[in-house]
Amino acid sequence: MKIFSTKGKTKSDIVFDTIILILCLFIFLLVAYPLYFVIIASVSDSTLVSTGQVTLYPKGFSLFGYKEIFNDSRIWVGYKNTIIYTVLGTFVNLLLTLPAAYVLSRQDFKARRFLMFIFVVTMFFNGGLIPTYLLMKELSLINNMWVFILPFSVNVFNLIITRTFFESSLPKELFEAAQMDGCTHFQFFGKIALPLSKAVISVVGLYYLVGHWNDFFTGLIYIRDYSLQPLQIVLRDILLSNQVFAEGAGAGGAAGGYAQKYADQIKYGVIIVSTLPILIIYPFIQKYFEKGVMIGSVKG
Amino acid sequence: MALINPQAKKAVPEMTTKPAKKRNILQSLKRDYQLWIMILPAIVIIIIFNYIPMYGVQLAFREYDFTKGITGGEWVGLHYFKEFINSYMFADLMKNTVVISLATIILGFPAPIILALIINQVIWKRWKKAIQTTVYLPHFISLVVMVGLLNVLLSPNSGVVGHIMHSFGWDINLLASEKAFVPVYVLSDIWQHAGWNSIIYLAALASVDPQLYDSAKIDGASRWQTIRYVDLPAIVPTMIILFILSMGNILNTGFEKIFLMQNPLNLPVSEVIATYVYKIGIISNQFSYSAAIGLFNTMINFVFLIAMNYIAKRFSNISLW
Amino acid sequence: MKRLGYGFLAASLAALVLAGCSDKEEKAAVTKDGKPQLTALITKHPLTQDVNKIEWLKEIEDRLGIDIKWQEVSADWDQKKGALLAGGDVPDLIIGPNAITDADYVQFPGLFEDLSDDVDSSLPNVQAMFDAKPETKAIATQLDGQIYGLPKYQRFWPGTATRQFINQEWLDNLGLKMPTNWDELYTVLKAFKDEDANGNGDKNDEIPMDFSPTGTIGFGFFQPTVLLGSFGITLTDASGSGYYVEDGQVKNFLTDERYKELVEFLHKCYAEGLINKEVFTQDYTKYQSLARGEKDTAKVGYTFGWEVTDRFGNELAPQYASMAPLQVTAGDDVQVSWDYDYNGLNYGVNMITLSAQSQNKEAALKFINELYDPKVSMQVLFGSIGTNIEENADGSFKVLPPKDENMDPGTWKWTTTWADNGPMYVSDDLKLELGTDMQSVGKQTEPLQEALDAIDVENDVLPSMFIKYSKEDNSKLSLNNTNLMNLALAKYSQWITKGGVDKEWDAYLENAEKTGLPENIKIMQKYYDDYKKNQ
Repeated sequence: MKIFSTKGKTKSDIVFDTIILILCLFIFLLVAYPLYFVIIASVSDSTLVSTGQVTLYPKGFSLFGYKEIFNDSRIWVGYKNTIIYTVLGTFVNLLLTLPAAYVLSRQDFKARRFLMFIFVVTMFFNGGLIPTYLLMKELSLINNMWVFILPFSVNVFNLIITRTFFESSLPKELFEAAQMDGCTHFQFFGKIALPLSKAVISVVGLYYLVGHWNDFFTGLIYIRDYSLQPLQIVLRDILLSNQVFAEGAGAGGAAGGYAQKYADQIKYGVIIVSTLPILIIYPFIQKYFEKGVMIGSVKG
Repeated sequence: MALINPQAKKAVPEMTTKPAKKRNILQSLKRDYQLWIMILPAIVIIIIFNYIPMYGVQLAFREYDFTKGITGGEWVGLHYFKEFINSYMFADLMKNTVVISLATIILGFPAPIILALIINQVIWKRWKKAIQTTVYLPHFISLVVMVGLLNVLLSPNSGVVGHIMHSFGWDINLLASEKAFVPVYVLSDIWQHAGWNSIIYLAALASVDPQLYDSAKIDGASRWQTIRYVDLPAIVPTMIILFILSMGNILNTGFEKIFLMQNPLNLPVSEVIATYVYKIGIISNQFSYSAAIGLFNTMINFVFLIAMNYIAKRFSNISLW
Repeated sequence: MKRLGYGFLAASLAALVLAGCSDKEEKAAVTKDGKPQLTALITKHPLTQDVNKIEWLKEIEDRLGIDIKWQEVSADWDQKKGALLAGGDVPDLIIGPNAITDADYVQFPGLFEDLSDDVDSSLPNVQAMFDAKPETKAIATQLDGQIYGLPKYQRFWPGTATRQFINQEWLDNLGLKMPTNWDELYTVLKAFKDEDANGNGDKNDEIPMDFSPTGTIGFGFFQPTVLLGSFGITLTDASGSGYYVEDGQVKNFLTDERYKELVEFLHKCYAEGLINKEVFTQDYTKYQSLARGEKDTAKVGYTFGWEVTDRFGNELAPQYASMAPLQVTAGDDVQVSWDYDYNGLNYGVNMITLSAQSQNKEAALKFINELYDPKVSMQVLFGSIGTNIEENADGSFKVLPPKDENMDPGTWKWTTTWADNGPMYVSDDLKLELGTDMQSVGKQTEPLQEALDAIDVENDVLPSMFIKYSKEDNSKLSLNNTNLMNLALAKYSQWITKGGVDKEWDAYLENAEKTGLPENIKIMQKYYDDYKKNQ
């Protein structure tokens, strides 16, 4: 199989493509090796791992780490909760962010600059943990699953990204042309803008999704009940129960060494367990980045 | 995504009459009521969750007194700010923080762009997909593991990188060296996040009208020229916006990674504002002092942001507001 | 689709509003059967099982006819605590080692119940502890005479946390004697490095000396600062920020000539390759892994730790011997000392607090009292009678080996009960035979015992645990200490690895003053003197 055809290419093109290929190979290895290391470390004897004896393949193979993680019944509750919070949360995020970004992208919307400023300010100034906690308490969001979904559902960074995309891909002419056919903003947004913006919706959707998936601070501060905790909190707890040897002084003894042998497996195993679902979803989202989405929308 | 359609640059005559300078607010509301409805939920959320608790900002100017709540403490004005600026550690903290942040921005900003441009040029589809998928994965490694990985791989006695360096005759312990701290910190940051950050540029590049590539080819452009004249302009708006935003992070180094990477040998360069605040906080509850430092930090960030935004507005047409 | 979306949004906003307007329910103070219901939070060790499964705890609840709803925190307590306290959402009981600190009492007045007036009426077991061990009362009493948190006393722990170990087998292999002073230590370490001490044919795989990671906040256990004892300096609780007491004077070793000598000695060792090159960059896991060697080949010659099996693992433990403190040079007439940790290991501050807004104060007080019953306290520490402890016919007790054979006694203890994290009073008259791990620690402390016994507790120990500072002074102390340690730790590691302590010493002393060290010494001296006066 030819890596690339040389048909119709100048010499400089071939050189260029070769350079690109080599760069890519280098990048791939640079990134892939440590990831591979994480995988083999999650099934190797931890003392061998930390003294650097595990390099290309697992040594002292053991599934202790994974067993510890999956034996903990809380993990299934964690998975369930996280999936719920992520799906609902991302939905609400997009519901709020997309229209707002659209509005802010309209050049002739008078309050545009003012509102943008209001949003940006919140990226910098916030009242701190305690006033926020008190507010959540007032709204009865403490120990309540909605605390994962409703507060902070507009991420200003994502809002800005979306607005930027809308600004350049939905020029005024497009709307005016539609307006001539009697189209309102609502209709324009729903029928024309959204379908054209699959790429940005999938990117921002991905950002929100991962944000929810990795969130562990919310559960840490606002939730008491274990039944409501997301995956990250459960994993963190499991991780900490096995990191006890970081303390010393009477915390472990003779065969405390046993658990220590495999303690770090959990550290690495946890990453695999929490990343796998994202790995599975990503390809589905990625296809929206494919070329050709914007063909022929504005002609002259 | 910038749709660079050369024909669209032609000025299109205004369809409506030129609006009067000061439009009546009511009339604006009436004309744009649909837009207002669309943006209202987001505004409400921001007001409730971000602006209502903002009264807490004044903690930096008050002596925290629990019995009187956050707003009831005695007003001490700039007392804590002065204390911080005059403190023994101030100069070092500022220096270290700025160095680390700046290095992260200067090196970390172009990396995702270059990565996106490279990946975008790969022809073999399967290979392109493989790289795209692998390169964002490190983003998901938690900081604890990331630093653990660094410790294992860079260890001079037992790490893979350590061994490679030894074979080149470089016998320094990267983890112990003051000079190596910032490079290791920044490069590992890039390693971890460049892939994830390149997603947005890749999405922008994916939406470039294929016609442009065709016309470039017809004009006899080399691959390199294609990048310069088609790819880059497509992502310039995104680049500018992201750069302005990153300037707003000039004093934010993040706490956890630095704290985990700190050891007594690199302490002179690794002690930053965030770790300092943590340390003074764990022994006694220095609410007001840490709030003051936090606010000081934020103010500087914000000033930079405003400055950058202004510059961007003047030299390109792209800005936050 | 769009309409569905907006409808959903409207509905959820409405729900939010409604949720906010709902009536606040009264916290249920009573269970269905009329039993008092208490809420309690415990900061437990991550290994500890679900506390609802602990036998002795269930027995107490049955005995008293109460029901307790537990919230278990095994991580991130510092982050959760702030929100919890500021929100006023305090559970009836909060349990854990210094879970609520003295500083918290000052920051959040009115949240916690003053127990000083309850001790003689409702807490007889606590009163008994105060009578038998008056220092416990001192630990618990705040500056204004109030008692917000109760202490613990666990009796059996050794006088120090740090023991020093040397590989006896290596000494025998090379025909060397146990070193008794720094010069001899240096010679031995050099031999370890140059020869094939572990007998595996490789002369270069021995690491003569290793010590625990120093961190960036302060000194800790298992570090060479204990060698300051060779000068007669008595550290207390590892003297994290350098403070100690000598002849009734509060001092800081960081600006002491003797500390300079120690650093010079360590640098001499490091320059000869006698100290692990990664000593300042490795983490605790690596530090422990290294000492476990490779199968039955030991890697580390001389180091510090809690106990041999914990430090070296089961395989290599028999090779190591615990050492007596070293003199600086042969024939020194200074009485050698060591790190005095008796207080830190046996006493604990603020182990349990009671909320001032509790609706079940009586029931809570009864529960607290039960915990301090010596027979119950014993179970809090080592586990329930039956599974962990055996009761003998004559009323004495014996700690049983772990039921899970894979666990060592320490891990077993932490898994099955609150262990050192619980409030307790293990009285001195209790007849209890300890488990193998504690006995082992006791044996290994023997070489140090003479030095420990020689310590003049009255004049050479800094009783940090018993001294309470005011809010302002506490603030000043911690701010200055942060500055000081930032300077000190950087220099400490730099001088050991690269040398230069002689050249930079004077400039360093000047900088140390700028950090506020003299101010701290003055403050601490004042409080120390007051404490002595009130003894």
